[in-house]
Amino acid sequence: MDNVTHRYSAAVARPVLDRVSLAIRASEVVSLVGESGCGKTTLGKLIAGLERPSSGRVRFGGRDIWSLRGKEAKAWRLSVQLVHQDPYASLNPGLTIGSTLGAGLVHNKLARHHDLQEHLVALMRQVGLDATPEFLRRYPHQLSGGQRQRVAIARAISVRPQLVVADEVTSMLDVSLRVSILDLLRSFSEERGVASLFISHDLGVVRYFSQGGRILIMFYGVVVEEGPTEEVIAHPRHPYTYLLLEAVPVPNPGLARQRAAARASEVLEGEPSGTGCVYSNRCPFAEAKCRDSRPEAVEVGVGHWVACYFPERVPAVGSVPPVGEGSGGPLDVRSHEGGAKLVGGSTGDVRAGGIASVDG
Amino acid sequence: MSIGRGEPASGAGTSPAAGLARPILEVDNLTVTFGDGPGSVRAVDEVSLAVETGDIYAIVGESGCGKSTLAYALLDIIPPPGRVTSGEVRFKGRSLSQMSRGELNRVRAAEVAMVFQAAMNAFHPVITIGAHVDHTLQAHPEVFASRSEGREYFRYLLNLVRLRPERTWDAYESQLSGGMKQRVAIALALVLKPSVVVLDEPTTALDVLNQRLMIDILADLHRSLGVSIVFVTHDLALVAELAGRVAVMYAGRLVESGTVDEIFASGGRRHPYVTALTAAIPTVVGAVSDVRPIPGEVPNLAQLPPGCRFSPRCALAEPICQEQEPALLQDDRGHLVACHVANRLLGVPSK
Ligand SMILES: Nc1ncnc2c1ncn2[C@@H]1O[C@H](COP(=O)(O)OP(=O)(O)OP(=O)(O)O)[C@@H](O)[C@H]1O
Ligand SMILES: Nc1ncnc2c1ncn2[C@@H]1O[C@H](COP(=O)(O)OP(=O)(O)OP(=O)(O)O)[C@@H](O)[C@H]1O
Ligand SMILES: [Mg+2]
Ligand SMILES: [Mg+2]
Repeated sequence: MDNVTHRYSAAVARPVLDRVSLAIRASEVVSLVGESGCGKTTLGKLIAGLERPSSGRVRFGGRDIWSLRGKEAKAWRLSVQLVHQDPYASLNPGLTIGSTLGAGLVHNKLARHHDLQEHLVALMRQVGLDATPEFLRRYPHQLSGGQRQRVAIARAISVRPQLVVADEVTSMLDVSLRVSILDLLRSFSEERGVASLFISHDLGVVRYFSQGGRILIMFYGVVVEEGPTEEVIAHPRHPYTYLLLEAVPVPNPGLARQRAAARASEVLEGEPSGTGCVYSNRCPFAEAKCRDSRPEAVEVGVGHWVACYFPERVPAVGSVPPVGEGSGGPLDVRSHEGGAKLVGGSTGDVRAGGIASVDG
Repeated sequence: MSIGRGEPASGAGTSPAAGLARPILEVDNLTVTFGDGPGSVRAVDEVSLAVETGDIYAIVGESGCGKSTLAYALLDIIPPPGRVTSGEVRFKGRSLSQMSRGELNRVRAAEVAMVFQAAMNAFHPVITIGAHVDHTLQAHPEVFASRSEGREYFRYLLNLVRLRPERTWDAYESQLSGGMKQRVAIALALVLKPSVVVLDEPTTALDVLNQRLMIDILADLHRSLGVSIVFVTHDLALVAELAGRVAVMYAGRLVESGTVDEIFASGGRRHPYVTALTAAIPTVVGAVSDVRPIPGEVPNLAQLPPGCRFSPRCALAEPICQEQEPALLQDDRGHLVACHVANRLLGVPSK
């Protein structure tokens, strides 16, 4: 993606994506992270060619996807596959699993009628599903959520794509199934060189998925930080990345109490800014400079880029010492004042020990 | 007018033995069945638990394990064809099944309030939030001396859920984000000053920032109002962040219950399912290489495996696990586990 800007309607002042550039190489695992409504799905749709950018270019294998015609366009369309959040909505309820998967294979001449069954069985095995004729005769409503998501993934990989865009594919699944679906998607890049763009709001899930890959953090249409996965998780350099990291709930009550006591306050209030830095209305470190001009991305480590004038102000993760050693129940600790290092938002109700928001 | 309830918020982590008063809500050997005959399923199967005044109590489990059904049973609003086939639910010692219709309605309205799964979709699109509130106040004139006092209390609740009253009162649901609607739904559930609020999946449809906000808000509400909170979730991380006491369900059964520290203590006596579930959560702390998927899927309630329901997926399973359903055994601190292997530590032979 080169400098892509996208608006759904010319009437809306701020574009949904604002001068986004990114590159995904063969077999790379890249994740895109940001809060609800920040434009993640839109970016995925642009890459899959479901939306045409208002300006800028989306290229695949070096060619602008909107300049492709005929055979080339057809080949490209198979090369990039999208898997959605809701596997129930994305599968045709009136078709059996076998018909859903078979239609794509036959239509794209990846299988013929006489060897279709063989192909289907192989495909089911790849995604860890019951490879029996009985299973292939089932309808989507007869499957569990995890099984449906595997079918949706099977459909995407059945056409041998080079890039899979996975949009919140685990958010509707049970915790116990998430990791196996993430492992399944990861195995395609490891074993077959399929690149993937994984979209999520949860840095915990993203960290697991893009091991050895990269993370992009987006705040309302602007990529504010980008870098190698563990580097971004361990040393976030944008205040927004820090906020997202601190927000992730941890499955450990002792640690949760410590983190709560040490957590800096933040403000969820504040529209994305139309001028200067997009995050400046919410940022505790913002100065006049931030409101005047948009910070360009600077390289703060190898392959680690951040669009912020003051990356050194972002506290180290977990560096704030816990205050108020746990005396009473878990909730007592949470109420302790102090330990807030990020306080200073100019608007709204800022409290110690948590995210404050007064967005009525 | 006095704002908030009189009762102090007792430490959520206190052990059941420390609770002197009787539990505010008790589930006693409850079974809820859908359907009749061989095709019937028990969505809740002989479950017992007790919520003490001031608890934050989590009911956790995966999709289809019966969490919502159990939550509905707390208010006696199980959707047909589901019905209670054994046991009972008691509110302040009174069995819901023995209450008159009037008494039950009063309990549901003003004592045990419910915030449903996907509550954000429950607002009428052409009615303002303020009108929703007025409607509720009008139906229960006994709670406040005047309508304006009720409205004032709702504004106080909006502040607690960190919304701006002046902007929220006249808003239609379409003008609020998903996270904001969820918070309005919670404020609305609290307006009649219930002593218990039951929340079904309060964070499930929210992004991480709104989840964090919801955790902070529920902790605040607990502290400021002294309201007891029961919440249902599939997310163990949410449990670790918010709950004082926890009941873990698997395929309709209670498999473990205790304080949050007992449930998460590594190395202690725990159900292998709970251990596996904790290890299956990808998060931002600890080593990524420690994350492990749980093999297999939750069984269909109509085709349960013999013996322990978790045994086909369990790393510790022994022959006995496929033969006998394990009993839920308690240690001297009230920590309950239903596992043949884990309970051997207790020195109590399982039958
Ligand atoms: N087809 C559309 N027409 C007009 N506006 C749209 C359309 N699709 C999305 N938008 C708007 O664009 C913005 C970004 O939406 P998008 O779905 O890309 O966000 P997202 O990051 O995927 O959010 P979520 O995490 O909730 O899925 C939102 O303000 C949304 O309302
Ligand atoms: N209306 C119904 N008719 C028949 N069976 C039902 C009905 N509602 C629920 N069940 C059964 O009860 C079980 C438990 O359902 P319940 O909604 O309580 O699960 P849950 O744990 O809340 O799941 P989820 O996480 O998906 O919300 C289901 O697996 C299903 O077998
Ligand atoms: Mg989206
Ligand atoms: Mg439910």
